[in-house]
Order: sequence, then C-alpha cells, then structure tokens
Amino acid sequence: MPEDTAVEVRDARKVYGQGAGAVTALDGVSLGIRKSEFFTLLGPSGCGKTTLLKLIAGFESPTTGQILLHGSDITFDPPNLRPVNTVFQSYALFPHLSVADNIGFGLKMQGRPKSEISETVTRMLALVRLDAMADRKPGQLSGGQQQRVALARALAPSPKVLLLDEPLSALDLQLRKEMQIELKRLQIETGITFVFVTHDQEEALTMSDRIGVMQSGHLLQVGDPRTIYTRPANRFVASFIGESNFLTGTVDGNVFTLDAGPRMEVGQTDGAPATGKVTAAIRPEQIRITSATLGDGIPATVTQTVYFGTDTHCRVALADGTEITVRLQSPASGDVGLHPGSEVTLKFEPGALILLPKAA
Amino acid sequence: MADRSFDIARLPGFATIAVTIFVLLYLPIAMLVIFSFNAGDNVAIWEGFSLRWYPEAWANEAVKQATWRSLQIATCAAIIATTVATMAALGTTRRRQTRGQSFVYLMINQPLMVPEIVTAVALLIFFSSIKVATGYQGLGYLILAHAAFCIPFAYLPIRARLEGMDLSLETASADLYATRWQTFRHVTLPLVMPGAIAGLMLAFVTSLDDVVITLFVKSAGQDTLPTYMLAQIRRSVSAEVNAISTLLLLLTVVLLTAFFLLTRKRT
Ligand SMILES: Nc1ncnc2c1ncn2[C@@H]1O[C@H](COP(=O)(O)OP(=O)(O)O)[C@@H](O)[C@H]1O
Ligand SMILES: [Mg+2]
Repeated sequence: MPEDTAVEVRDARKVYGQGAGAVTALDGVSLGIRKSEFFTLLGPSGCGKTTLLKLIAGFESPTTGQILLHGSDITFDPPNLRPVNTVFQSYALFPHLSVADNIGFGLKMQGRPKSEISETVTRMLALVRLDAMADRKPGQLSGGQQQRVALARALAPSPKVLLLDEPLSALDLQLRKEMQIELKRLQIETGITFVFVTHDQEEALTMSDRIGVMQSGHLLQVGDPRTIYTRPANRFVASFIGESNFLTGTVDGNVFTLDAGPRMEVGQTDGAPATGKVTAAIRPEQIRITSATLGDGIPATVTQTVYFGTDTHCRVALADGTEITVRLQSPASGDVGLHPGSEVTLKFEPGALILLPKAA
Repeated sequence: MADRSFDIARLPGFATIAVTIFVLLYLPIAMLVIFSFNAGDNVAIWEGFSLRWYPEAWANEAVKQATWRSLQIATCAAIIATTVATMAALGTTRRRQTRGQSFVYLMINQPLMVPEIVTAVALLIFFSSIKVATGYQGLGYLILAHAAFCIPFAYLPIRARLEGMDLSLETASADLYATRWQTFRHVTLPLVMPGAIAGLMLAFVTSLDDVVITLFVKSAGQDTLPTYMLAQIRRSVSAEVNAISTLLLLLTVVLLTAFFLLTRKRT
C-alpha cells in the first residue's frame, strides 16, 4: 500500500438483511483515498454512498472485505476507537449542550485536560466564525450555523479522516454555495483528509481533488474532476456528470464512422475496442455549429432552440434521426440565428469525441 | 393557530356548555376547600373561618399513619414505575422502528385500558397465593401493585420527550469517542431526564389517590390516605376529611404545575 494512503477499502461487500429480503448495498468496492485530499463519493440516491461511509466510520461492518486506516486494519474496531469523525446529514448536535460543549464533546470523551479542551474550542469557534455563539444551544441557531457547529465538533479532535454525508443538502442554494467555499477552505487550512458524499455532480466537480463515481453498489470510476468529465469511463458516468450526447457507429483504428453516415478521426480510444460497433459520447458545449452546408462535418437539421440566458441550447437531428443537443454561447443580440428547419453542419475537435467501452 | 376559518369556540352555545362544565368540575372542589376552613362541626353550614381542622387532623394518629404509608407507597411505586417506563421508552424510541411496535405500546399501556376492578381482582388472587407461600404480609404488595398501574402514566411523558429526537445522537456520541457508558451518561440520560421527572411526578400523583386496587390488595391495618378517608366518610362526613383533601389537592397542584413546566416545549 502506498505511503500516502489515508483510507484503503479492500473489496468491501455489504449485504443488509438475509434471505429473500437481502439488499446488496456494496458489491465489491476497492478504493484508496490519499492523505489530505478532498475526496468525493458521487452517485444517485441508494447507490451505497452512506453505507461506504458507515464502514469507514465503524457504524456498520462489511459482510466481507477490509478497511484500513493509515495502514492499520480497523475493519472491526468500534466507532469510538477510530480516529475518524463524521458530519451527519441531520447534524445530530446534542440539544442539551451549548455550542461550546458540543464542540468540546469529543475531546472530553477522550479525557483531554480542561485547558486543552477550552483552547481547542476557542480555536474551532474562530475557525467556523461562531465566536459569539459559544453559549447558545443548537436550537437557537440557524441551519447554516448548526452546520458549522457540526463541522467544528467533528474537526475539534483532529481526526485522521473527516466523513461528510451530504452535509449541504438541507441548506438553501445561497447558503449551500457559501458552505461549499467554506468547506474547501477548512479542508485546506486543516489539511485533514475529507471524504465527502453528494449526489450533486456540480458540487463534486467544483470541490473535489478526486471523485469516485458510484452506481448500485459499484465504484465505476475514480479520478480528478477533469478526467471524470473529459474521459468518463462509461455511459453512466458520461450522463451522470454533466450532459452528454451519445452517437453510435463503427470504429476502425482511429476512424469512427457514424451510423448516420459521416466518418471522422478520433483522439483517444483507451478502453474502447479497436474495431467494431461502439458508442461515443460528446459534450453539448464541444460541438460547433455552422449554417453552411458545405465542407466536411456532420449535416443536421435544427428541431428546436431554447434560450437559457448565457447559453442557447439547440436540438438538432442527424440524417438517421438521432437527436443531439448543442450548447451555444448566446450572442449579444440574444439570437443565434437558427430556427427549426435550418440546415446546419456540426463540427468538433477529434479529442472531443469519447469512445466508450463496449459494456456500457 | 393562524387559521381562523373554523373556530370551535365560536359555535353557538359552546361557551355556555363550557362554562357549565367548568362550574360542575370546580364548584364542588371549591366548596370542599372552603369548608375545610369552617369553624363548626357541620360540613353543610358555614360557621365562620377557622384553621382548627388542620391541626386536628394531624393530631389523629390514624391520619398520620395513613399519610406516611401513602407517601411510602407512592414514592417507591413511582420510582419503580419510572425506572421500568424509562427503559421501555428507550427501547421503543431510541432505535429504528420495528414491526410489533404497536403491540409493545399496547402491552405497556394495558393498565389504562383494562378495567381497574379486573386488575384489582387479578392482583388480589395472585398476591394471596404468594402470601400463603411466603408468609410475607408487608407493604411490598401494595408497592408492586401501584408500580404496575403507574407504568403507563410514567411512560407517556417519557416517550413524548424522546420521540422525534434525532436517532443519530447516540451514533454521533460514539463517533466522538464516547464508550457505551459515556454515551448513556452524557447523552441519553440528560435527554430523558426531564421526561423521567415528569413521569415520576405523574406516577406519584396517580399512586397517591388510588382507591380500588388498594382496597383489594391491602392487608388489615394497611390503610392509605384515600382508603382511610373512604372509611371515615362511610361513618360520617367530617370536616377533617375536607382538610386532608385540601392538602392533597395542594400537593397535586404543585406537582402538576411542575409537570407542566417540565414538559412544556421550549420555544
Ligand atoms: N440499515 C439498512 N437495512 C437495509 N437496507 C439498507 C440499510 N441501509 C441502507 N440500505 C439499502 O442499501 C442501499 C444503499 O443505501 P445507502 O448506502 O444509504 O445509499 P446512498 O447513501 O447512496 O443513498 C439502498 O438500497 C438502501 O435501501
Ligand atoms: Mg445516503
């Protein structure tokens, strides 16, 4: 195992229940999370994100597989013996304790001296900018403030890893944006490994050092946001993160022939078969559109344009009927000059076309 | 309530009915309190203000003993009932809901639904066989009987307190390095405490004024305050009973006010 791995999950399976009602929440997940990175688990609801966090926190133990923390096996250690803390989706602040006592709870349970506790609490309050709220009860705080207390409480004992289960989902959009920036700042300032769970792809892309994309108990792809976005490993990743158009065709070496007719060069073919039928993905913003019907490119007919302010989305149909979306920057006049029925030609860089592996 | 489109208090005749019932409820009690300060012997004719019945009642050895016995039974029964009810409430509210939950509620609240006389007879038969077997004649039977029917009264406020409280609080505590015992001591117990105290007081008041079950279960010479008063009133209505009742009323009002303050939702 590499030196810089904070958490290693080895072939973890988790089955809830038994017999006919059994649910396989994790189906053989292996994962390495590096020290001091902001790692995000991204996937639709029910794909097993929370379950994976629970295995790392110790609230559940895996049916089979292992969990390692900084190199030592913690698979069956109870939560209170793991130097890992959690920010709960519901915050789970202790309603009978003041903000300061909530933040100091972990240190108190560890039996740290009083002076150290109060010093750390003061530091944490400053870190999350709640100095004035130390004596309030959680019930007297706003949602955003409670969220900060939950963060400070989990950070106070300086855990090796901080787990955050959709911590921002209860906040309104404005506050969510603020907290995203705040979280990223805290992660950089403290240097603690963050494992962040979300089903919001935009949140994942903007905050993470690396993202792990999950679907129904499987980890599909791990990579930095750029890789995940520009080189999705399969059709699910391509459509879950950002928008994608899917084109079918045949590949032969680095030449891709669309079922709709035109052929073109492709940049990368990793993971995809060298010959035969494949699906290719292309992002709506990577396609250029010209009203000329001459020269090379893919001929198409506009079916609909939708104005989104900065962008205009243009639906076009290819010769074989395949509909794809093209995202254009709206010009100053606001009118892209395309109307249903307009004959156009689509063009894009060879590298923009992503050939997907067969299985997808 | 913000929605004023339907207000039951505005139904025609409602105010009249409400006032009548209020008078019916509180007038006799007011009479009782007033006549406990009557100077004369007669409970129906007012002969002037006096506090004589209070020291007179207290001078009566039988009253003193019955009071002491009642307090002993109510204290022990309330503590037992609250302990059991707290454990039951923790078991039914501090974990994921399971099937059979409503059956458990039904079992715990059974004494509220079974006619008291049935419980009384059942306990009488049950305890008399134990009495024969062991020869023990003490207050233990009354304490156990009272504890049994006080459990639902203690259970309800505790459950109300715990219900709707985030189930992940204990998980969060374990996550923050607390052992099981520390979690109980620093999280669960402080959370349940106001409910438990409220339950304790409700159970205490319930035990204090029980007549039916006490009459069936008690051995000779084990009169509690209510059964003593019942016996007195059968003979002749005495102003002494008024005085005792007034004091009991005072105690109940104090306890119920405290109960109200404890269970009131903080805003
Ligand atoms: N305690 C449990 N008992 C039974 N099934 C569970 C339990 N927890 C989660 N599941 C199931 O496991 C799957 C994954 O759940 P979860 O890890 O919570 O997903 P996510 O957090 O990605 O939404 C879901 O199908 C869910 O219904
Ligand atoms: Mg979840």
